[in-house]
This record gives sequence, C-alpha cells and structure tokens, in this order.
Amino acid sequence: MRRMNRKHRLDVTRRSFLGGSAALMGSAGLWAPREALAAVPERKFLFFFAGGGWDTTTILDPHFGTDGVDMDLDTVLGEAGGVRYTSGMDREGVDEFMAAYHRRIAIVNGIDAHSVGHDSGTQFMLTGTSASSYSDWPTVLAAKARLEYPLPHVIFSGPSYAGTAGSAVVRAGGGTLLSLIDGSINGQSDQPAPVTAPPADDIADDFVYKRIADFASQQNGLAKERAEGLLSNIERAMELEGRQFEAGLDNLGNGMLDQALKATELFRLGLARCAMISIPGGYDSHGNNMVQAPAQASFYEAIHEVMDHMASTPGHTTEWLIDEVVIVAMSEFGRTPRLNGGGGKDHWPYNSVFVAGAGVAGNQTLGSTDDSLIANTIDLSTGQPSSGGTVLGCEHVGLALLKIGGIDPSTVLPGVDVLDALVRG
Amino acid sequence: MRSILTALTALTATALLASCAQEPPADRRVELLGDREQLIRLSVDLRGMHPTEEELRQFEDSGDKEATYAAYADLWLSQDNFVERMVEVFDQRFLFRTGDVYFDPGEVGLDIDDRIMAEMIANEPLQLLRYTIANDLPYSTMVTAEHSMANPELALYWGMDYPDDGNGGWEPAQYVDGRPHAGVLTMTTTWQRYPSMGGNANRHRANAISKMFLCDDYLARPIVLNRAAVDQLTVDPENAINQNISCQSCHSTLDPLAANFFGFFNYDAEDGIDQTMYRPENEEEWRSYSGKEPGYFGRPTANINEFAEQLALDSRFSECAVRTVFEGLTQRTLSDEDWEELSEHRLVFDSSGQNVRELVRSIVNSNEYKARQALDPSLEERLAGVKTASPAQLAGIISQITGYRWFFDGRDALVDNAQGLAVLAGGTDGRYVTNRSYIPSVGTAFTMERYAQAAAWNVAEHDLDPNREGSAKLLYFVTVEDTPESNPEAFEEQIRFLYLASTGLPLDEEASEPAELTELWKYVYSVEASPVLAWSTVISVILRDPRVLFY
Repeated sequence: MRRMNRKHRLDVTRRSFLGGSAALMGSAGLWAPREALAAVPERKFLFFFAGGGWDTTTILDPHFGTDGVDMDLDTVLGEAGGVRYTSGMDREGVDEFMAAYHRRIAIVNGIDAHSVGHDSGTQFMLTGTSASSYSDWPTVLAAKARLEYPLPHVIFSGPSYAGTAGSAVVRAGGGTLLSLIDGSINGQSDQPAPVTAPPADDIADDFVYKRIADFASQQNGLAKERAEGLLSNIERAMELEGRQFEAGLDNLGNGMLDQALKATELFRLGLARCAMISIPGGYDSHGNNMVQAPAQASFYEAIHEVMDHMASTPGHTTEWLIDEVVIVAMSEFGRTPRLNGGGGKDHWPYNSVFVAGAGVAGNQTLGSTDDSLIANTIDLSTGQPSSGGTVLGCEHVGLALLKIGGIDPSTVLPGVDVLDALVRG
Repeated sequence: MRSILTALTALTATALLASCAQEPPADRRVELLGDREQLIRLSVDLRGMHPTEEELRQFEDSGDKEATYAAYADLWLSQDNFVERMVEVFDQRFLFRTGDVYFDPGEVGLDIDDRIMAEMIANEPLQLLRYTIANDLPYSTMVTAEHSMANPELALYWGMDYPDDGNGGWEPAQYVDGRPHAGVLTMTTTWQRYPSMGGNANRHRANAISKMFLCDDYLARPIVLNRAAVDQLTVDPENAINQNISCQSCHSTLDPLAANFFGFFNYDAEDGIDQTMYRPENEEEWRSYSGKEPGYFGRPTANINEFAEQLALDSRFSECAVRTVFEGLTQRTLSDEDWEELSEHRLVFDSSGQNVRELVRSIVNSNEYKARQALDPSLEERLAGVKTASPAQLAGIISQITGYRWFFDGRDALVDNAQGLAVLAGGTDGRYVTNRSYIPSVGTAFTMERYAQAAAWNVAEHDLDPNREGSAKLLYFVTVEDTPESNPEAFEEQIRFLYLASTGLPLDEEASEPAELTELWKYVYSVEASPVLAWSTVISVILRDPRVLFY
C-alpha cells in the first residue's frame, strides 16, 4: 500500500518516493498512519438525489389544517425533538429513524430552487447557480479538501456538475471503474490483453508520472492546470491499484443501500471525501402522487441503516464515522401544494433539503413555507421566519454545506449569504 | 446607393487599417506553438488523429510555413474525418447521443440490437448535419431542409418513406404521416429526445430549440417570483403565466415558440409508437393551453416552415453556430472578452453563406488557435495552451499509432458509451453528463492506462511473431530474439522511434527515456521471460505520454 499526499505532505515526498527502488515501491507500507492524519479531521459528505422532483410535504414539510395543501391521506404531524415531519401508518420507518437520530438531523424547508425545469432545477440545487462553469457542492468539497483522496468525489449514480473541477470527479457506475482499477477490463475486450502485474506495473506508472510531471512543469495557465490534473490523478490511480483489495473495490453495489454502505467504506479508508447516490423512485408524479410516500419512506429506512452502521464503524479522521460524515438529501424542486385533476402534483419551485450528521446544527427544522407552500422569509442566522428576512435560496443552503466542510463560502460564491443556522457553532 | 456603399467600404477599410496599425502585431498577443505541435493540433482537431511523420517533415521543411499550414487545413477540411469531428462538436450542444431507444424495434419487425438502434435514432439529426457540411450547404439547412435523413432501418422505425433509389445508406427521406418538413424541427428523434407532456405544452421543446440554435436557455434565467405571482400560479397556472409580469419575462416569447409544435403534441403517454406520430389535427391545440398564437419573437408564424425561416434569419442563429464551433475547437467557454475574436469568425461564416467549413478554416488559421500561451494578460486566463483529446479523438490517435481500437462486443468503447468508458475518460453521455471535462480525472488516468496496455499488447504480440503476415506496426528495429545486451543500438533506436510515432515529437539527443525504458524492459523480461510482455509494457508507457492525451 502506498500513500502520496500532496496536500498534507508526509515525510516521504512523492519525488523522493519515486527515487526509491522498484521493489520498495511495489510493496513497502508507506501508507500514512492514521495518527498522522488525525490532527486534521475532515468531514465527508454523502449526497442523495431524488431525481424528478420530490413532494416536500410527503415527509419534510408537513402542512395540516389548511386547504392550501393536499396532504397524503391518513398522515399526521410527527415530531422528534425539534424536527417536524409527516408521519403516518405507512411511514413507521421514518418515525423510528427520526426518533433515533433527530439530534443530528436538520430539515430545511422553503428553499427557492429558482426553477421548475428538471435540468436547471438540478443545476441550481447542486451548484447554487445556472452557470455551467460552476461545480456542484460535492465536487467543490472534494476539490478543495485539505486531505488527498484517490477518489475525491465518487458518483455511484445521480447527477454531477463537474464545472472546472472535473479532475475531482469519478463516475463509478456500471462497475467499469472497478474493472479499470483491477485491470480485468483488459480481459473483457474483443481482443483481450494481459494486465501488467506489479511491481513492473508500479515502475511503469512511476515512469509515466515523471514524464507528466516534466510536461506539467513546462506549462502555464490552463495548460498547467490540465497537466497537473492528470498528474494528481495518476497518483490517485496508483494508490487505488495498491489498495483495491483493502477497500473491497470488487463490488460497488447495485442498490441505494449497498452503494451508501460502500461509500461509507470509502470514507472510512480515506479513499473518498464525497459520494453521490440517486434515490430510486419515480418522483415526477404528474399523473399519480401516491408514488411519493413509499419511495421517500424507503429512503429514510435505508439511511437509518447507514447511520447505525456509521455509529459502530471507526472513522477516517475521527473515532467513529458518524462523527465525520454529513448526509444530504435533495431533489431538483418540490411539487405543487394541490393535487391536479389527475391525482398528481406538478413542478413547484419551493423545495426542502434533509441534512444530518457531523457539523450540522441538528434537532431543528429550519426555513418555512406558508399555508400555500410558499416560502416565508427567514433570518439566515436562526433559520426562523422573519418579516424583514431573506427568501431562502438553494445557494444559501449549499454554502452552509461548504462551511460545514471547512471551506470558506466566499471563495465559491462571493457576496452570497450563508444559512448559518445549519452550521453547528 | 452603390457609391455610398463603396465610400463606406473604403472608409471602413481605412479605419480598419488605421486601427490595425495601432495594434501590436497579432502574434504578439500569443506565443505560437512549435511547427510540429501546430500541425498536430490542426490534425487532431480536423481529423481526430495525429499527422503522419511525412506530413510533419514536409511542414517543417516548407519555406512558407503559414501557406503550408493553410494548405493542410484546406486538405483536411475536405476529408470525411472533418465532418465526423464537427458532428462531435455540434452534439456537445445538441445532446442527441443519449443511447435511448423509445420503443422496442421488434414492434416494427426490426431484429436489431438496442445500442445500434439508439445510434441510428441519434443519427437522424446528426446525419443532416453531415449532409449539410459535406455538401457545403448553409448551416440553416439544419432547420429548413424539406426532408429528414434515414437509412432503411430508421425509416421503418420512425415511419419514413426511404427513397427507392437509396443505396441502403443514409439518404434524405420523407415522413409519411402528413407532417411538414423543416430539418431538425420536424424530426421524430428531436421530439422524442426533447419530449413535452400535459401542462408543459411544448415549452420544453421550445426551450430545447432555443438552446440548440440560439444558445439561449430560458431555464438558465433565475426566476424571481413575487408573492402575487406565486398566488396566481397556485390557483391558475396558465392565467398566471399569461398575466403576471415576472412570468411574462420568459413566457411572452417562449409560449409562441412552443405553439408551433402542437402537431407533435401527444396525449397517449403509454403507446411508444403512437407518441412518434405527427397529428395535423393537433396543430391548433395551443388554443387549449397557453392561448398564444404561434410566432417567433413577435412575428406570427403560419406554420412550422415559416417558424424555421424566422429562426434561420435570426442573427443569434448564426452566432450560436459560430460559438458552438469556436468553443468546441478552442476548449474555451466564451466570455464577453472573446466577442471581438469571435466576430471575425462570425463575419467569415455569414459572408460564406453559413458554411461550416469556412468557419472552421477561419478559426484554425488564427494565431489564437495556434497559441502555446497568451502574452496578452487579458487572454491568459481563458486560453488553453494545451487541449485535451476527447475520448473519440483519443481512440483515433491511438488507433492511428497502433492500428488498434478498443472494441467491446464489436463497439468502440471510446466512441459508444455503452461501457461507460467515454464518460470516465472525460466525455459526455448526452443526458446525465452533458459537459466535457477538460481536466483529466482518475477515470481518464485509468482509461489511458488500460487502453494503452491493450493496444500495446496487440502491437507487441503481432510485431514479434516470427510468422506474422504483413509488416510490423511499430517494432521495426527489434526482433523477438533481441535483448539490450545483444543489440543495444536497436533498443535505443526502437524506443526513439516509438516516441516519435506516438507523440509526433522526437526525443532530444540527451534524453534519458531510451535508457530508462530499456531498464524497464529488462525488469519485465527478468520476471516474465517474455519479450512480448516486455515490449508491450514499454509501448504502453509511451502511449500514456501526456503528448498523446494533450495536443
């Protein structure tokens, strides 16, 4: 196993490392001991995305006692500490989850997604802007991490806006990444080829690394950025080749829960900082809003398992993983408060986000919507309604996530306020 | 009138000359690439592969480099590869290559793999682009052609009349459901890729056309809804859209665009084939939705052909085409500072009758295109001194060097995204990943490594076979019997040749690579006792050189 850490340079630098013998490179345990990293704890982020536009009233933004919002039949207000949600006979798993983890949970309602288009809503919610050059929140968190991760942001499934930080993004879908890492893809092509085995493979990699480093040193501006992107990712590739068995990178999982548990394993090992997983379900419920409840309830049952797992799993930079990982779940927009003629609900710009975990000011519901499911203005420092306050935008929420991740929000969207109420002081 | 125009032209020319005289020489704005690098960039952009060594030497030896460069540009612009490259560039904006099939081909009697069918579907509009460029037709043909494009399979799938004299390939073809024909605007592929249902009332489609041909995404405009607007929307969305000022800022122009497409509007979401039909009787259905008459930014349109004419005449149509090609070739996201540079190319494009070939000729002959780096500080942050090969370009480059293409189940893994490799290598999938990544990711690094290993093994196995048929692909200087001890000169010469063949750039006299790679060869040979594996490892390392990915 090996560790090349540019951001937190260890005693053995990459270049001196390259100067060592091939045999040493192939087998020596140069992996940074956890103690060396413990001084710089860094939060990891597990993002979930419900594509299609979820109904915020199904779980996160209950509205009872008003004609302005059509709630699901047989549902009631659920409360767990300061967290309010929609409960019901078909949502017992949600009750159990909220009861178990409400102290770590913050629900954010009344978020203006700035759009009711699927593509643009997704982009707004994930980047805070409509400009294609901006990276999404997990990509920013991964690209600006203090520690070095071989798979900075892994997309198991779901959307991604790489923006200008594409080198931090890795798509894992379909298992192709795994077959690239272990080389088995060479045997799958129409003209199979053998895999170069270590240590020859390590020597070859080191030679390539040196050529790219020389090339990068001769470049300027964007050219240098691109060359250095390749260089850092050669490093990451080398580390992954060395650690594939330790990381259990033989199967990235098919279902949401499998993928989430695999993501936590990547976090535990310090292989990734962020992951994106799509939440299954046909959320674009124009024709039938009944699809929302089972899909959303299943999601909370799944992350209940994930949280339980993390509570008993050692962390990468903290004692337990649950104290290190932030779970974020969102959709591109909400749905109309009233059912349409077909029993469905259409697109609605006011949205909700679920956040739980390390660094989150939990046990509270932030933001709010009125009886017509329209956002009330709020005080961003408290998250509570304020007549002279701000309409909460997706950008305010996203910047709070960056702040939880130790990134100065002003370096990403200068001049934009932060939902500080979401950030644990 | 003529005399006034002549005088104006003279004045403009004088002013232009005067302003030119005050500017520093054009090449002062940038530092140009070296000779070989210039020709490599040109070749990769226009043909998707490196120039041959013969072409590079001819260029180096030519007395008038600029003229020779321009001549190569002319030559390569006339070749089929160029058309394919433009399809790749334009589809970055169109996003037709999604891999989607909209109903089972078996329903119309086609026994065909879904991936192949998906490619044919995407090719309906992209073939029109090929047809337009290959025949030097105006780019406006994309929306004004009085036909679609089909091969026999797609004609059967979408319900087109394939011409009797067709040769089995792609030909202009007509739908038989009574629809008018206006290029991409009346293709079933277009409206399946960009569907619209219910209360959306073709607005998604109108915006798709705006994005594709005007580079204007309505949905990229932030919505600022006041309370009154939201209240109205809750009660009666269509009325709110028609009356509220915030809504009208977009819908006053979007809804008339959308009203042009109601012949394609469909109510049966369950029936795949039924959704693909045009219905003349639905053309007036806009009355039941927005109530806005069909139009184009204030001008009424009687039918989709009039809409197409207005679209093609819009100055933004031409501007969007120029922008698409400019961004695709320069790997630069356009900013306000680029407009002056863009305007020069726009002028060429318009004066040539919207000829894509002329537009590209203008761009690739500019100094900014040939630049290694910017000297003008205002350009420095935007100019890409090296460009990153797309997955398809990378496949072309490695195929040209080694003769090997990375096929899985008969499909090129870096051109077809079925394996997911094209996206891992920085490409797009037309639906979830819609922007190329120019900064290589770990996926790119792995893809390069495995692709290089596969190609290198193929070369070494072939070339070192004493009984091989035909000439060697790359290993001209060594045999399976040679070792560094028995023939050190051949090893040195072979490795130098591999670099030249792979990167187009010779190693320096003092370069350490031959010695280092000879050591690598020795190491692999000592472990594996296989000259094929040893050479395969050496070749794969050279194929992973940054000069292969970057150009």
